[in-house]
Amino acid sequence: MKLEEIRGKIDKIDRELLVLLQERMGLALRSNKFKQAVSDPNREAEVLAKVERMNLDLVERSFTRQLLNTIITESKRLQEEDKPLVAFQGEHGAYGEVAARRLIPGGAYIPCLEFVDVFRGVEEGYLDLGVVPVENSLEGAVTQVNELLTTTALKVIGEAKVPVNHCLLATEETDYREIRLVYSHPQALAQCRSFLMRNHLEPRPYYDTAGAAKMLARENPKAAAAIASALSAELYDLEIIKDRIEDGAANSTRFLLLSRDPIANGGEKTSIIFATPHEAGKLYGALRLFADADINLTRIASMPLRTDPGNYSFFLDFEGSHKDAKVAEVLEKMEELTISMKFLGSYPADKGDVAMQS
Amino acid sequence: MKNLILASGDQRERTIVRVGATEVGKQFVVIAGPCSVESEAQTVETAKAVKAAGADMMRGGAFKPRTSPYAFQGLGIKGLKILEKAKQETGLPIVTEVLDPRDVSWVAEFADVLQIGTRNMQNFSLLKEVGRSGRPVLLKRGMFSTLEEWLNCAEYILSEGNPDVILCERGIRTFEKYTRNTLDLSAVPAVKELTHLPVIIDPTHSTGRLSLIAPMSMASVAAGADGLMIEVHNQPEKAMCDAEQAMTPELFASLMGRLRPLRSFLDRMDSQPSDGIKGEVTR
Repeated sequence: MKLEEIRGKIDKIDRELLVLLQERMGLALRSNKFKQAVSDPNREAEVLAKVERMNLDLVERSFTRQLLNTIITESKRLQEEDKPLVAFQGEHGAYGEVAARRLIPGGAYIPCLEFVDVFRGVEEGYLDLGVVPVENSLEGAVTQVNELLTTTALKVIGEAKVPVNHCLLATEETDYREIRLVYSHPQALAQCRSFLMRNHLEPRPYYDTAGAAKMLARENPKAAAAIASALSAELYDLEIIKDRIEDGAANSTRFLLLSRDPIANGGEKTSIIFATPHEAGKLYGALRLFADADINLTRIASMPLRTDPGNYSFFLDFEGSHKDAKVAEVLEKMEELTISMKFLGSYPADKGDVAMQS
Repeated sequence: MKNLILASGDQRERTIVRVGATEVGKQFVVIAGPCSVESEAQTVETAKAVKAAGADMMRGGAFKPRTSPYAFQGLGIKGLKILEKAKQETGLPIVTEVLDPRDVSWVAEFADVLQIGTRNMQNFSLLKEVGRSGRPVLLKRGMFSTLEEWLNCAEYILSEGNPDVILCERGIRTFEKYTRNTLDLSAVPAVKELTHLPVIIDPTHSTGRLSLIAPMSMASVAAGADGLMIEVHNQPEKAMCDAEQAMTPELFASLMGRLRPLRSFLDRMDSQPSDGIKGEVTR
């Protein structure tokens, strides 16, 4: 190995150490939800004893002890800070994290494997807030999330429209001409469909955009690339071969901020889910209430009811707060016209004019 | 000429190639920029200068066909990213050369016009690939090629379903050594008789001498060319290739100040048939 190569490997390891530390800190913050006090001397002794048993001749015990003590001290300091734990689906660098940073600056952003983990974690109180995508400007509804919204007890307390700038990423040693496989979340692959076709690339679904970037950096599979954010390129030290590879110029995803408790003051936007009886004019009757009350609808989407094929629930977003008299009146009448009606929350609307780096 | 089914001028309207807001074949088009993309500063600065002087598109090589394998081969995809940056800054569409069929779809992601260089004019697999790229193609004349060979290469691209071909005369090899090549200016009216495709002139490579670029540019306008492709470098003395033939932004701006009035003057002459000019210069 040449000096340059050795140094390149050292840089890569340093980066991985930091990304791992970031993950460790996140887990420590999560553990805090189960503990009575931040400090737990028995556990600390256990942690130190476990790694000291490892026999690494270049990493001496005295050094290990010193290093772990430093990490534990920092971890306890972070836990004392009591940052809100904001859950998102995917790995660090995912678009959910980009949205979470925008909605709750200064939070601790906690990656979750699946959307359901975000919902459950917040519901059960192990996480404070959740950030989930509901719709994309190119691909439409994120059905998994919409379905979880129908069953969850969580409230919507905010929204963020995040511009999605997909980048094709590969490791430095990859020759772009040899790329054949592209790993990413199915949503991202779908948003870049024509780019993939133009360049004869085969899409390979992965559980997350940033997760695909992380896998690429760690495993360096042959002839492979990933679609993820520029933030992921930075975190996992990948080359951006081409940015803005999405099929539409205005690709953005709308995220919702979820909490166990609604916000008291509401906001200028409200979301509900309802179902009407399968009879002529029932849906029209429900929607007409909004027209008559001069309430502007911002989104209407239908989703098949899994428990009852042939029937649908409807997602409705509209302008106004449940505190407004005319909205309250419509919601009351809706109860009578529908067979199920679920109020998700009133929350501040994202005006969407903030330029985001993603 | 035989086998020019799509390229021949018979019973066809003249082709107009749209690149952004520019219509090649309708308006007089000037493409300018450095031989190679060397750095972001050099490329963006040159792009701004040629834009200010009135250029319609910018050129810049990211993949360079060099006589010696040890000479600077271009920045590759990094160069394409720099060109993209220059486009974001100036709005000028990008013309850049592609050398390898495996690169065509990638270069097409960044460039507005794909250039086929003189050395690759008869690289038939490359011609087929750019014919399927969905991007306009600037086809330079091979330095040893006849007009018929050149137009057959255009036919290759057209026959793949790409109607947007711009021809570019860049000089041919003769026994004359004073100039780098010999500019075949007669190719302009000749090609206009033979085909409906627009044809532009590269006065830089055809002469290889700074002092000859301006006069040959003016002559190209007079001959009825649809445009020019000129090498401009913000600091020619520091250029990594073709340093001796690149115009400074100042020289380029002063040439631009003379080109457009000449074209307008000739257009006015054409619109007055009584002057007896029409029919001798076809534009």
